[in-house]
Amino acid sequence: MKRDLLLFLAVTAFSLLSLTGAWGGVMVQCPEDLDGDGVSDVDLPHVVCRHLTGGDGFTVMADGRSMYIFGFGDVTGMPADQVLESGILGAQFPAPTIVLDEGDDFYLTLTNVGMLMRPDLFDPHTVHFHGFPEVASIFDGLPESSVGINMGSSITYYYHIAVPGTFMYHCHAEATEHMQMGMLGNLYVRPAQNSLPDGTDLKGFIHHTGYKYAYNDGDGSTRYDVEYAIQMSSFDPEFHDADLNVQPLPFADMRDKYALLNGRGYPDTVLQGPILNKVNGRNSQPLDSLVHARQGQRILLRLSNLSVTRYYTLSIGGLYMKVIAKDAKLLQASDGRPMSYDTTTVTLGGGESVDVIIDTAGVPPGTYVMYATQAQYLSNNEEDYGGMMTEIVIE
Amino acid sequence: MRVRQIFQFTYCLALTFLLVGLLSEGPAQATIQGISGISFTLVAAPGYIKTPEGNSIFFWGLGSDVNHVQYPGPTLILNEGDTITITLYSALPQPVSLVFPGQEQVQAQGGSQGKVTREATPGRPVTYTFVAAHPGTYLYYSGTNMALQHEMGLFGAIIVRPAGFDPNAPTAYGTSDSRYDREYLFMISEMDPDIHRLVEEGRYSEIENADVFPTYYFINGRNAPDTMAPAFAEWLPTQPYNCMPLMHPGERLLMRIIGAGRDNHPYHFHGNHAKVIAEDGRLLSSGPGKGADLGYSRFTISAVPGHTYDAIFQWTGREMGWDYYGHTSLSDPIERGELAVTATLEAPLSAGSAQVTLGGQGEKEFPMYREVRCLIWSKAYPSPDKDPNREVVKVKRASGNLFTISRGLEGTTARAWSEGDYVAITDHGRPFPVVLPENQNLTFGAFYSGSPYLGNAGNLPPGEGGLNPFSGFFYMWHSHNEKELLNNNIFPGGAMTMLGILPYNAPIE
Ligand SMILES: [Cu+2]
Ligand SMILES: [Cu+2]
Repeated sequence: MKRDLLLFLAVTAFSLLSLTGAWGGVMVQCPEDLDGDGVSDVDLPHVVCRHLTGGDGFTVMADGRSMYIFGFGDVTGMPADQVLESGILGAQFPAPTIVLDEGDDFYLTLTNVGMLMRPDLFDPHTVHFHGFPEVASIFDGLPESSVGINMGSSITYYYHIAVPGTFMYHCHAEATEHMQMGMLGNLYVRPAQNSLPDGTDLKGFIHHTGYKYAYNDGDGSTRYDVEYAIQMSSFDPEFHDADLNVQPLPFADMRDKYALLNGRGYPDTVLQGPILNKVNGRNSQPLDSLVHARQGQRILLRLSNLSVTRYYTLSIGGLYMKVIAKDAKLLQASDGRPMSYDTTTVTLGGGESVDVIIDTAGVPPGTYVMYATQAQYLSNNEEDYGGMMTEIVIE
Repeated sequence: MRVRQIFQFTYCLALTFLLVGLLSEGPAQATIQGISGISFTLVAAPGYIKTPEGNSIFFWGLGSDVNHVQYPGPTLILNEGDTITITLYSALPQPVSLVFPGQEQVQAQGGSQGKVTREATPGRPVTYTFVAAHPGTYLYYSGTNMALQHEMGLFGAIIVRPAGFDPNAPTAYGTSDSRYDREYLFMISEMDPDIHRLVEEGRYSEIENADVFPTYYFINGRNAPDTMAPAFAEWLPTQPYNCMPLMHPGERLLMRIIGAGRDNHPYHFHGNHAKVIAEDGRLLSSGPGKGADLGYSRFTISAVPGHTYDAIFQWTGREMGWDYYGHTSLSDPIERGELAVTATLEAPLSAGSAQVTLGGQGEKEFPMYREVRCLIWSKAYPSPDKDPNREVVKVKRASGNLFTISRGLEGTTARAWSEGDYVAITDHGRPFPVVLPENQNLTFGAFYSGSPYLGNAGNLPPGEGGLNPFSGFFYMWHSHNEKELLNNNIFPGGAMTMLGILPYNAPIE
């Protein structure tokens, strides 16, 4: 098969070029990694190492249309000599979810495996840890003010995870193109309050081991039982096809026709399990958005929007959401008074996040629908009853 | 795509820095360009703006006379309590007016009565008066045929200085939490060039305002990279205002953000959260004397049409995990901004002891439930680098202001400390945590100094970098609907600029 031959040639070429030193090759940096797989081999509390590839791949939309993407793949712990083969045409959408704990030292290696379907492109990639405060420009992933990693090479970013919250990440190289093409993902940080000693009194709220909070609230108000990170995004199929077919990119004319939650349109959003793309059969959209809880549980939704074209409003039929934080900041007055509020809708522009808690105490069991109130986006391009919609099942 | 990108960024940036260098002689303060006073004449007339990729767009602007209209209209810088008079003349083919949301006792005389206010036509000016009763950030715009006239460019910013404003100790609202070191305007708007062409050709009946589809996005009337060119650049005669925020670590930068178009724009600023202290010219306050106690922090501020936001942005490099000045030894000099938070010992800490109470200004800023790296040094010395016995410790809040101290780290010996000695959160002396790839495996940005350290010029290959003469850290401040980072079909551009955090020895205007 032609594509397999291409893959073989690409891997061979990359290996040869890194042998000659022309390309850096796969290089993972992680403290106390003794065998080169990018994972610490001694137990270092608070050291987290991840390894991502940046490259291309394919997804399939809910109406069956195949969609070419740029994206990140997860090769954490993989021996270096297998990384290229896994990364090439191995992009995932959304990008692999990154979950961290406050206080972590986070080493994130990005290996640029190139875009197999676009051998004419030599684009670097980056990781931008969107919204995370006080990062030096070298680790900000903004190619204009720092560096991008070239094809066939790796760079390791480092972040000291000093604050909790719902952030997000994306590539910032050729931002409009690479983000429209899918280099977007969920990223959040759990608070240090989770690890308090059992029995700690938080202004009358007694913490117990195993309790989880969204933020360091100091009073237990952000405690939850189950959490889901759901990222809004949208695709313009004309743009993706133009990129695949090496046509001029319709930047000014960009019109997103697929409104997505975690990379899928309804009903794929509630389909648990893999969706295999039609080109090389990889599970490139591994994330569903089906929310499950038992009556009485508190559901934390970590919502973010990385659409490059528009604002979206999400509503849940029949349920209220308590907005507890925006842009990774607890809603709290300077004297500590809560400023959280109840609502049926949250509106997010590109690059905004909110945390909402749904308290299901007394909520009748059943299936509730979460959907974009801009109803024209409840479609998968020309197919209706789809788009930006998912379900919350309460048992 | 890359060749274009470099080309796009280069030509005017170098000029900005050149100009900054020339202006740095005096003690002038970075501020917002505009006109001050109590009486203004504004003329509404057509003109042309330029876009970075070479287009020229017909617009309707405001200015001192028909040959000097601008986009946006002049920023009016007023003083709280003043009664303001603005006379509007028109050279436009349709009636025009101005409205002043947020101002008090607005009155209009002359011209003819329109739907919203009195309107000017050629030869029949209108005089508006109002009282600038409250400090803050506002906008003014046409109150006539708004669907078309806002698109065409008839709007501008108003800044009202608080009573008793002191340019050497400026505040936005007279409160201590609204004090700032530098202020910048971010007036975000967009244009659909097809509508402008129809107006230019007089084909009004073909205009469908509801079908507006913008392809140009602006900050202060310019598209990137022109946003970063000097203010009043000769080659942009109708777009006098730039947007090139620069600051030193630890300073307070006041962002005055205005949604001046008709779409929402999610304005995202790399580098840190900013704290919104006011909206629409009103402090977010629960009552007199409370300051902006209802303020909120964001990493993206949605600029809604007709809405204004005042936000304080700061950057200290706090808890980065490594020393961003590149020091490798504790005895290297402490630079400004390196001690993120300083507290004092409220009781002696004896050798081997593990618990102490902390007080002073910084105590509240220690994290609630997490260990941080700190330096302890004697109050007899001005900073830890001067104290030969300084000690690296890890500090964790136990409860209230009682802290647990882990001692004996990083080559120091546990010793006794006295009441009043200092404890500061800092990464001073911590090494850079990773090895960067070889240069041949990297693509360099024009704003990269070649080094990860602030104020340190590294080794860049010939022809790389070039727009960062003081080796600062640059952060993109931009609309996060990335479609708006275009000039028509060309990336990058649009509603975007760069924040420069420059080392202390670098002059800023
Ligand atoms: Cu990329
Ligand atoms: Cu971003």
